[in-house]
Amino acid sequence: MTKTYKLLFVGEPGAGKTTCVAAVSDIPPLTTDVGCTDELADLKETTTVALDYGELDLGPQGRLLLYGLPGQARFRYMFDVVREGLLGIVVLVDATCERAATNLRETLQTYAGELRSTPCVLALNKHPDPPASLQQQCQALLTEHGLVAPVISVDARKREDVVRIFELLFLLLEHGTDGPQDDEEIAWL
Amino acid sequence: MALKAPDRARCTQALDDLLRRCDSISVAMLALRDGRPYVERPAAKVAPGKFAAMASSLVALGHSVLRELGAGTLDHVLVDGSEGKLVVSSVPGSNGLLILALLARHDARLGLVLGHAKSCANAISATFADERAPA
Repeated sequence: MTKTYKLLFVGEPGAGKTTCVAAVSDIPPLTTDVGCTDELADLKETTTVALDYGELDLGPQGRLLLYGLPGQARFRYMFDVVREGLLGIVVLVDATCERAATNLRETLQTYAGELRSTPCVLALNKHPDPPASLQQQCQALLTEHGLVAPVISVDARKREDVVRIFELLFLLLEHGTDGPQDDEEIAWL
Repeated sequence: MALKAPDRARCTQALDDLLRRCDSISVAMLALRDGRPYVERPAAKVAPGKFAAMASSLVALGHSVLRELGAGTLDHVLVDGSEGKLVVSSVPGSNGLLILALLARHDARLGLVLGHAKSCANAISATFADERAPA
């Protein structure tokens, strides 16, 4: 029987979660987008209100089930719907956004408990070469919330980048993390 | 063209009328399609923001499931529990802007609850029509 792994994407509205699932899924993705009715409409037309779902074939390694959650904290309860059997969580950040660090702080505040108990990766999206200052801010925010996670740069529309995230999470699951020690940080990967 | 949210006082009146006509309905809420509360009568046990978010998720999932299954368009979502019935539907004529969510007692007659839900949704829908009509 084919092994399946459940990967969850969280992150602020506009981080690229829906686009990621739609771009890399081998099946037509399930989407639950509706028109924005608040100030978010200035940035994007639609927003996810339940979840995104797609699947990615990993060949002999199995199959990746991709879930994307809404970015707004009011939909936090959806995590409980998808939490069972998670391989890991991807925190997606729009690295081109001026408010990237602020947005990340909100996401970490919403999901800190879950991120501490599940392998996670922080993925800076939409920027080919995110500034070092943002990377440092992200590391600092992770530490502030008692989290240990690799920070990587991705193009979430690319299949190979999503596979790389999967492999990283698998490594974290196998070998774990011991938590931050002094000023130690997981290296920029 | 984006629709303006209808007059809040008229919406509140429509929900109050509904609660007065059907005593097995305990909570009535209007939520915006992206999960923000608009009007709630009276307060539910759950925070209005969370209730509105859950209502919008249910409607969106209902639409998506029916679309995937080729089963037509959504009329309402029913969540039937041991302690209560939740009915969620889009308000017609609102271009999907508003969602009506009703919580009824578990022993309420479903047909009655659905009928009252439809009447209430139509009353709110009329609000949109009135606001679109030339003065």
